[in-house]
Amino acid sequence: MQQFGIIGWGADASVENRPGVPEERHPPRPLVDVGGVPVQQAVGRPSAKSRYRALTPVYGTAVPLRGLSGVIRRIAYEIPDYKPRRWMLLMLADRVDVIEHDPLRLTLGLGAIAAGVLGIRALSKR
Amino acid sequence: MQALSYRGPNRVKVTTKPDPRIEHPDDIILRVVRSAICGSDLHLYSGLVPDTRVGSTFGHEFAGVVEEVGSGVQSLRRGDRVVVPFNIACGTCFFCERGLTSVCDRSNPANDLVGGVFGYSHTTGGYDGGQAEYVRVPYADVGPMSIPDDMDFEDVLFLSDILPTGYQAAEMGSIKQGDTVAVFGAGPVGLFTAKSAWLMGAGRVIIVDHYDYRLELARRYANAEVVDYREAGGHDVVGRLRKMTDGRGPDVCIDAVGCEASGSILDRVTGKAKLQAGSPTGLHWAVQSVRRAGHVVAIGVYGPPWNLVPLGELMNKGITLRAAQCNVKRYLPHLLEHIRAGRIEPKGIITHRGPLGAAPDLYHLFQHKLDDCMKCVLVPNAA
Repeated sequence: MQQFGIIGWGADASVENRPGVPEERHPPRPLVDVGGVPVQQAVGRPSAKSRYRALTPVYGTAVPLRGLSGVIRRIAYEIPDYKPRRWMLLMLADRVDVIEHDPLRLTLGLGAIAAGVLGIRALSKR
Repeated sequence: MQALSYRGPNRVKVTTKPDPRIEHPDDIILRVVRSAICGSDLHLYSGLVPDTRVGSTFGHEFAGVVEEVGSGVQSLRRGDRVVVPFNIACGTCFFCERGLTSVCDRSNPANDLVGGVFGYSHTTGGYDGGQAEYVRVPYADVGPMSIPDDMDFEDVLFLSDILPTGYQAAEMGSIKQGDTVAVFGAGPVGLFTAKSAWLMGAGRVIIVDHYDYRLELARRYANAEVVDYREAGGHDVVGRLRKMTDGRGPDVCIDAVGCEASGSILDRVTGKAKLQAGSPTGLHWAVQSVRRAGHVVAIGVYGPPWNLVPLGELMNKGITLRAAQCNVKRYLPHLLEHIRAGRIEPKGIITHRGPLGAAPDLYHLFQHKLDDCMKCVLVPNAA
């Protein structure tokens, strides 16, 4: 048998020894005694909030929304999380965010847009 | 402080950022002593996780020393040594009361899919991570566990994620004594899944991968049989596993790879083209390999919006499919005892250590599997 000599083999063979069995603790009870619902965080602002739940007592404030990517993200967060277009917009915002923070790419991007606009104008006048 | 900063797909650098501050009475500020780079950090690094903002600090596997304590924190004091679960959990909501801290209702305001996670994009709450000199830790009375005096940071560092994740994967497979368990992916989580399968009485453990050095570690560290899918009849890993198991297939198949799996050109192409969220080849193989009425577990990370999954095979074979982020908190005391008893030696998988400034190089190394890289640990501060 392959398991011969393996230290600890079968130590948790009994499901009673497995901390995640059953999957849901019954009866439900707080993990630690922290005296009820946590107070609301007042520092910073959350980037988004579920439309189905109250604002969570804590939230992250790592990188605030900003620039064009921030505008796209705000639009995305108005769309429920079960709609694919929300995630597509967030991925688009991620790419815009990268360009916004890279002066070379930003310059090339703006240059390409300007050249495109000027080119369309020139063609439309012919 | 110095912290890792995301600059765009496949680009990170270490920059100076403002020190984190107490933002809620239940917060602590932790001085980070060890912080690991997780395989799932590579999904962020590759730009695959939605709402990963430029300037974000990654890192959800860390341990350190309490530097500052919020006014509401009762169980910790300045100077305490703790290891911190990657889940941010309140401990008292509907889900936490049932032990399901990975889906805590009070830590991620951004969506209704998952709870808060350190350093894992604004999709999981927008918290900075621990690949930094300091990190803010919310709900400090709930998640962090004090490190016993007789153990060092590296003894317990992987209790923050990959060890309990591997254990929970094996547990979700409902392994019975003598079962054959196949694990897809010989990364750190795959190895800990294999070790956990032995603890649960598995009769055979088979690990599938394609990197020679990882397969060698799977043999040596996890005592597993190995399958190199490059040699398995032109990627016919499913056929190889059936042959190894009297034509039936393994009783339990566990996907420990997630959304960046190799092995299928179709999945790679459709993943790159964003027709699905990455490449779910590990999950495909698991579903196709497992015996009828067997158990399949997805513990590798997948993201929204969707993946192509062989639902017909799931249904017709009568497969039980389970998947979850790990509920780390409930496993800590149990796994600590396994470490203490010598049944699992987590730090045995560490191949690279470096100061915080080495993080960009280590990410590159880890992503491209250079220098036999298995697990990288950053040392932002001395103990």
